[in-house]
Amino acid sequence: MQHFFFNTDLGFTILTLAQALAVLVPLLMGVAYLTYGERKVLAAIQIRKGPNVTGPFGLMQPFADAIKMLTKETVIPADANRALFLIAPILTFALAMIAWAVIPTNNGWAVADLNVGTLYLFAISSLGVYGILIAGWASNSKYAFLGGLRSAAQMVSYEVSIGLVIVCVLLCVGSLNLNDVILAQRHVWFCIPLFPMFVVFFISALAETNRAPFDLPEGESELVAGFMVEYSSLSFGLFFLGEYANMILMSALTAILFLGGWLAPFDIAPFTWIPGPLWLIAKILCILFVFIWVRGTFPRYRYDQLMRLGWKVFLPFSLAWMVLTAGFLMATGLLPQNPGLAHTPPAIASGDTK
Amino acid sequence: MIVTAFFYIFAAILVASAGMVVAARNPVHAVLFLILAFFNAAGLFLIAGAEFLAMILVIVYVGAVAVLFLFVVMMLDIRFDQMREGLQRYAPIGAAVGLVLFAELVATLAGLKIAPVEAAAPAASGLTNSAELGLVIYTRYIFLFQACGIVLLVAMIGAIVLTLRERVSSRKQDIAVQHARHPADTLVMADPVAGSGMDGQILRAPGWTPALDKPAPARLETTS
Amino acid sequence: MNWTLAVPELVLVLCGLATLTIGVLGDKAKSHAGLATWLSIASLLFAGVLVLLSPSGIGLGGVFINDAFARFMKIVAIGGAILAMAVGFDSNRRAGLRHFEFPVLMVFSTAGMMVMASSANLMTLYIGLELQSFALYVLCAIDRDRLGSSEAGLKYFVLGSLASGLLLYGLSLVYGFSGSLDYAAIATALHAGAISPGLLVGMVFVVVGLVFKLSAVPFHMWTPDVYEGAPASVTAFLAGAPKVAAFALLIRVLLGPLGALAHQWQLLIEIVAVCSMVLGSLAAIAQTDIKRLMAYSSIGHMGYALMGIAAGNEAGTTATLVYLFTYVVMNAGAFACIVAMRRRGEAQTDIAALAGLGRRDPALAMGMAIFMFSMAGVPPLAGFFGKLLVFVAAVKSGLWVLAGVGIVTSVIGAFYYLRVVRVMYFDTPAEAFDARARSTSAVALVSGLATAGFVLIWAPVMAAAALAARSLLAGTVG
Repeated sequence: MQHFFFNTDLGFTILTLAQALAVLVPLLMGVAYLTYGERKVLAAIQIRKGPNVTGPFGLMQPFADAIKMLTKETVIPADANRALFLIAPILTFALAMIAWAVIPTNNGWAVADLNVGTLYLFAISSLGVYGILIAGWASNSKYAFLGGLRSAAQMVSYEVSIGLVIVCVLLCVGSLNLNDVILAQRHVWFCIPLFPMFVVFFISALAETNRAPFDLPEGESELVAGFMVEYSSLSFGLFFLGEYANMILMSALTAILFLGGWLAPFDIAPFTWIPGPLWLIAKILCILFVFIWVRGTFPRYRYDQLMRLGWKVFLPFSLAWMVLTAGFLMATGLLPQNPGLAHTPPAIASGDTK
Repeated sequence: MIVTAFFYIFAAILVASAGMVVAARNPVHAVLFLILAFFNAAGLFLIAGAEFLAMILVIVYVGAVAVLFLFVVMMLDIRFDQMREGLQRYAPIGAAVGLVLFAELVATLAGLKIAPVEAAAPAASGLTNSAELGLVIYTRYIFLFQACGIVLLVAMIGAIVLTLRERVSSRKQDIAVQHARHPADTLVMADPVAGSGMDGQILRAPGWTPALDKPAPARLETTS
Repeated sequence: MNWTLAVPELVLVLCGLATLTIGVLGDKAKSHAGLATWLSIASLLFAGVLVLLSPSGIGLGGVFINDAFARFMKIVAIGGAILAMAVGFDSNRRAGLRHFEFPVLMVFSTAGMMVMASSANLMTLYIGLELQSFALYVLCAIDRDRLGSSEAGLKYFVLGSLASGLLLYGLSLVYGFSGSLDYAAIATALHAGAISPGLLVGMVFVVVGLVFKLSAVPFHMWTPDVYEGAPASVTAFLAGAPKVAAFALLIRVLLGPLGALAHQWQLLIEIVAVCSMVLGSLAAIAQTDIKRLMAYSSIGHMGYALMGIAAGNEAGTTATLVYLFTYVVMNAGAFACIVAMRRRGEAQTDIAALAGLGRRDPALAMGMAIFMFSMAGVPPLAGFFGKLLVFVAAVKSGLWVLAGVGIVTSVIGAFYYLRVVRVMYFDTPAEAFDARARSTSAVALVSGLATAGFVLIWAPVMAAAALAARSLLAGTVG
């Protein structure tokens, strides 16, 4: 299928780079307009107008913001750990970008169609904590450090339940490949049979991205801006972009795990005319709207409540649901069979002697 | 070719960062280099075709264990000068012992070849290695898998028994009690005559106590 | 998947979990330590009965072996655990340790020892060892408000992790150079091909890791501090059953899969044994703390017991097994006496506190004297038979140096054991101890009778040990 040139090392490299650009450029545009969208939606919730001066309907606002951010002076605190201080925002931003390598935008369309794609995403999202933790420590400031510590504890706590939720989904799929996860939802999206897990996942995604009502790492009313209090200019901009890119990523993950990814809601004519990537984008937009909606309507959690919710509610609940799912699938024989697993390898029975 | 290049990149960074873990003066830097080392080890696993192990290494070690390391090390107030003092005193002895051990190791391993590789290589069955691992862990080695679970349980019991303190003084939120409260238990709708006040009476529900952790009081009987 | 082999372990763990559940769900205001201890002793006894009834064979995917050797070691370990638990029954209460987790952790630790005794695979070895050790680390630090206990726990944990790391490194080398984790396959591979240096390095690391758990020289540094710092009931446990389990592993690995390397490890074991015996006897002389004295004494005892392994044959293995049996019995009794050393609620560990015990409390002094004489190897007490057997085995294998050093150090060792007896009977009496609890007295009585009357139970113990050694060396399961 591929041209001969693409089978050489050089061709392969160029192809991969082109694919990466094809994903990242729209993503960055999306991030830019997500900031605009958030301000507009929040404004609507609060009965204001939002940005409306720069360009028609304020549509040039993201660019104005970007230019302002780029032209400002980068301030590095005197006692900060310079190298780490600068690495932290780059790390946050880069992690939010590289996760997109495995997101399938149509049947089999992904930069890297890994067969452990789910684990890859989970791994990348669990690394996000480093950017914040390092930023908090390297700033050499009390507020930043407190924000970093809060964030570390918060993200590690919610990762546990996210992991269990993903296990529930994978039990129903029988594969770790994200494309297989979507294909397994041809008949019914997982948000219906696994509705409670869908809710747990979405709330944990809020906590994982440090979004309201779990935005304690920033907590502007008590920690001024938490881990980013010392950041300015481009380094602040990278954090900002990283946060929004993470939001889009978590939305994409929610769409893939529970809302059928690029699948049309019904497998009949008018729906199937619309191409898969558009369905995925539409689903991501819906979830992003909920992200912003939640921010506009819910007050911030207290820290102990946050921890209680993660460890004492979500963890046992998702664990119990996982056991339930596994038991149900075993009892009804619905457990997906990996084609290679039809026979038990003989090695397993060996080793016993009388 | 690309794979070979990446192998050497990962391996070189791995070795360099492992060295930096030991050499770094700042413990936070040491932990960060450790994380970098984990990460590159995961890269090597990936190249070796063990993608499941690679991801688990990142998720468990980099994403959770090392975060807690970093968490603790950042909060510790380590005095570098004191540490270096001890180091300088013991460095000659340590270096001598290390040198002898290293020489022995080189001497022993000089004529080394990894012996029966064929015994270890399983036949390819066309499964992904996550499926292969699952098959082995949950069937043949189920006993060891469960034993690992008990080991973790013991660690958990240990963490609780060594650190949990039931503080009597701290006031805890009991959400069940909060939800069980009813407006009628706590509110009194009084209709005093203008100017007369409540005659200095404070109306409380019978059984009202100031503590938060007491059961919700019974319904109020209005007293006049 | 012949899981019936592991029924005792499974039952023991389930009982531990049930006890834990009872403790967690029970009334928070009350201490459930007493109930949990009774339940744990009952489950250990039950597991012991199941061990006796358990069938022989290799099962559970080839990782678990049950034979006469495993049964012997498991029974001795369970016995040691029960005695230690009974010792802790009263001493914990007086020391203010009211955690119901205490006996539960002991149960899990014992389950780990049983898995160790039954290992037929390097992974089983490691997991059993870690299960046992994790529980012990926690137990050492369980008196968390006392500095000594925390220090003991931390020291044991840090050094134990280091030893585990060395052990794992060794195991991975053995795996890499033999191509298998199963003992049987390793043995076959080793007998078939030339022995590569990598395997030797791996073997040395494995021995180092296991010898650390035995607290034999040169990996003994942690022992005195941990024994002194840990609560007395934990020390009683630590000094008994875990050593048996570590010996079970060492014997099984060295005589089984690494049997082909006998010439190489024999020298290693001999050096460790000689160093342990010498250090154990010389360093103990200067001790004034009875728990530290017991620590050095146990280091010395490990040296004597290793002598049997060094012999590397059936007689030597039998001797080691009998030695371990007598050691566990004497040790539990001695610690029952140490736990009884309490004055106005304060635990006494100074040897001087025993002054004139012969007149204050003749029964306790009598017990302590029996254990001290036995440890010194005075006939006809239990310790004598153990020592005699290992010396004979060493001499028969031509290990004259080893036997000679053993006899000299026994004589030196007798000096400090007898010093304790002298303090008890010839020094001016100090203030009396608190009244003993019945459980403590019971342990001392049982151990004392077994030690003093070892001649009477000599035949069955010897027969069981010989059967165990034979089953191990024959390599057949049955």
